Amino acid sequence: MNRMSTMLRNKWVQIGLIAVVAIVLIVAPLMLPVFANQTLIRIGVYAVAVLGLNIVMGYAGQVNLGQIFFLGLGAYVAAYGVTHDWNILVSFVAACVIPGVVGLLIALAASRLGGLAIAMITIALPIIGVPLAKRLSDLTGGSQGVSARFSGAPEWTGLFDDQWQYYIVLVVTVAAFILGRNLVRGKFGRGFRIVRENEAVAASMGVSPYRYKVLAFTIASIFGGASGFLYLAAVQYTSPETLSFGHSIALLAAMVIGGAGSIAGSLIGGIYYVFVPQVTNAIDPTLTAISQGVILLAVLFLLPGGLVSLPRVIRRMTRRSTSRPTQGGSPQTTPAQPSPAAVAQEGPENTERQSRS
Amino acid sequence: METFIQLVIDGLSQGSIYAALALAIVLVNQATGLINFAQGGLAVLSAYIAYVFVQFGLPTILAILIAVVISFFIGAVVERFLIRRFERGDPDTAVVVTIGLLTLVTGIAALFWGYNNRQFPSLFPLGTVDLFGAVVSIRSIGTTLTIVAIMIVLQLLFLRTKLGLALRAVADNPSSAAFSGLPVGRLLMVGWGLAAGLGAIAGSLVAPSLTLTPGMMDFALVYALAAVILGGLNSPLGAVVAAWVIGILENLAAVYVPLIGHDLKIAVPFILIFVILIVRPQGLFGRKVVVRV
Repeated sequence: MNRMSTMLRNKWVQIGLIAVVAIVLIVAPLMLPVFANQTLIRIGVYAVAVLGLNIVMGYAGQVNLGQIFFLGLGAYVAAYGVTHDWNILVSFVAACVIPGVVGLLIALAASRLGGLAIAMITIALPIIGVPLAKRLSDLTGGSQGVSARFSGAPEWTGLFDDQWQYYIVLVVTVAAFILGRNLVRGKFGRGFRIVRENEAVAASMGVSPYRYKVLAFTIASIFGGASGFLYLAAVQYTSPETLSFGHSIALLAAMVIGGAGSIAGSLIGGIYYVFVPQVTNAIDPTLTAISQGVILLAVLFLLPGGLVSLPRVIRRMTRRSTSRPTQGGSPQTTPAQPSPAAVAQEGPENTERQSRS
Repeated sequence: METFIQLVIDGLSQGSIYAALALAIVLVNQATGLINFAQGGLAVLSAYIAYVFVQFGLPTILAILIAVVISFFIGAVVERFLIRRFERGDPDTAVVVTIGLLTLVTGIAALFWGYNNRQFPSLFPLGTVDLFGAVVSIRSIGTTLTIVAIMIVLQLLFLRTKLGLALRAVADNPSSAAFSGLPVGRLLMVGWGLAAGLGAIAGSLVAPSLTLTPGMMDFALVYALAAVILGGLNSPLGAVVAAWVIGILENLAAVYVPLIGHDLKIAVPFILIFVILIVRPQGLFGRKVVVRV
C-alpha cells in the first residue's frame, strides 16, 4: 500500500497514467457499442452539471436546489442558436453566458439573505421554470419542446454520430473539469472554503462572503449552462420536462452521493446520476424515487464524504484492524459535521443541542 | 366587484393551506433550527394515510383525525432516528437530509399508491353561499376557518399550557432547558410531531381540489417557503400573514395581470421576494439577526 502511494507521487508515473487514461478515453468510442457510447456521453453531460453544483454547494457551502434550471436554460439557448443557424461556437458561448447572467442576477438577490434562504429560493427555479418554458412557446416550442440537430458527424471524419457526439462531450467535459480543479485549488477555492466554514472569519480576512457566494453561484450557473449545451448535443431535443423539479433533486443527490467538495466526486456523481436510474427503471420504475432517497440517506449516515471517500475509509478500517485501534471517525471533508463515531460515543445527555449563539 | 371578492376569498383559502405548511416549517425551525424541505412530502404521505382510512369506509373527518395522530408519531420518529444525528452539525448537511427524506417519502407514496391521481373526498359540501353579492364556495370558507381555528388552538397550546412553555424554552435555549430538567429530546420529537400533524391537516384539506399524487404538495411547499422568507423564520404570525397575502395576490394577479395568468402565478411570491429583499432584507416581520462570532 505504502509503496503504491509513493509510486503514484512520482511525476513520470503520473504523466504515464494520464496518457493511458487519455488514450483509453479517445479510443473507447471506436470499440464500444452505441449504447455504451450514449451512456458515456450522458455521464459527461451530467458530470459537468454536478461539478457546477459541487462548486457552489460542496466548496462554497451554499445549498442550490435549482441547478437543473441552468442546464435547461443552457439547452434552450443552444437550441435557439442552432435553429437560427448561429455558428456553433457562438451557440456554445451563449449557452454558457446567458445562464451565467441569470445566475448572477438571482445570486445578487438571494445572497442578501443569510443561510438557507438560497436553498429556499433556488428550489423555486425548476418549479417556476417549467411553466415559464411552456409559456414562452415562441422561443421554446412550448410543451412540445424543440429539437435541434447539430451534432451529426461531418463527412470527412468518417465517424458515426454517437462517436462524434462523444468527442464533443469529452472535450468540453475534460476542459470543464480542468477549469474546475484549478479554480478550487486556487485563490477562489480557498475563498469559497473559508466562506463555507465561517463567514465572519472570511470577512475579517478581507474575503467578502457576499461576493464569493455570488461568484460561486454564477460559476455554477455557467457550468450548468455548458452541461445544457452538451445535453442538447447528446439528446438533440429539449422540453420543459428537462428542467423538472425531480431532476433537480436527483442532481443534488448525485452530487452528495459522489462526494461534496471533491472534483473526482463530481464525476462519480455523474456516473451515479446516469446508472442508478437505469438499473432501477429496469427493475421497477416506481422504485426509482425510493431507492434514491434510501441511497442518499444511507450515504449521509455511513459515508458523509460521499462515495469518493470510500477508499480512505476502507484504508482506515484495515489499518485499524491490523494495528492498535485509534481514535477518530470518518474523514473530515465536512469538518463542521460530527463524525459518526463521535456521535455514537456521546451519551444521550450530550446529544442535546447546544445554544445556537 | 363580485369576481374580486370571490378571488380574495379563494386566495384566502389557498393561502391558508400555505399558511399551515409554513407554520409547520417555522415550528420545526424553532425547535431544531433547520428547514424541513420534506414537510410537503410528509403532508402528502399523511393525506394518503387518510385516504386509506376513507377507503375502509370511515367518515372523512375521522379518517383525517386518525391520519393526524399517525403523522404526529411519524414526525416524532423521523426526528428521533433521522434528524437527531444531524441537528448539531452542518446546516447544509441537514438540508440535504431533509431533501433525502423528501425523495424517500415521495418514493414510499409512489411505491404503495402509484403516480395516478386519486380522488380524495372533501370535508365540506360542494355548495356555494352568497357573500356580499359574490358567489363563494363553502369549501373555501371552510378551509380558511379550519386553519384559523387550528392556529388559535396552537397559539393557546404555546402560550397557556405547560407543554407549550417547555417547547418554547427548548426553542429558546436548549442547554438551559436541559439544565432545568426538561426532557429536551422528547420535546424536540413533540415539535416535529406537531409540525407533521399540521402538515397532515394541510394535505387532507388541499387533496380534494388538487387530487392525490405523490408530488401534490411540491407547489404548496414552494409557496410555504416563500411565505417563510417573507414573514421571517422566527415569526409564526408573520409567516401566516405572508401566506395569506401570497394566496390573495397570486389569485388576483392570475386574473388581472394577463402577462402572469394562471400558469405563471407561482412566480408572484418570488417577484414579491425580490422587491422586498431590496427594501427589507430581514423579512416583513422578522427581527434583524446579528451573528456573533
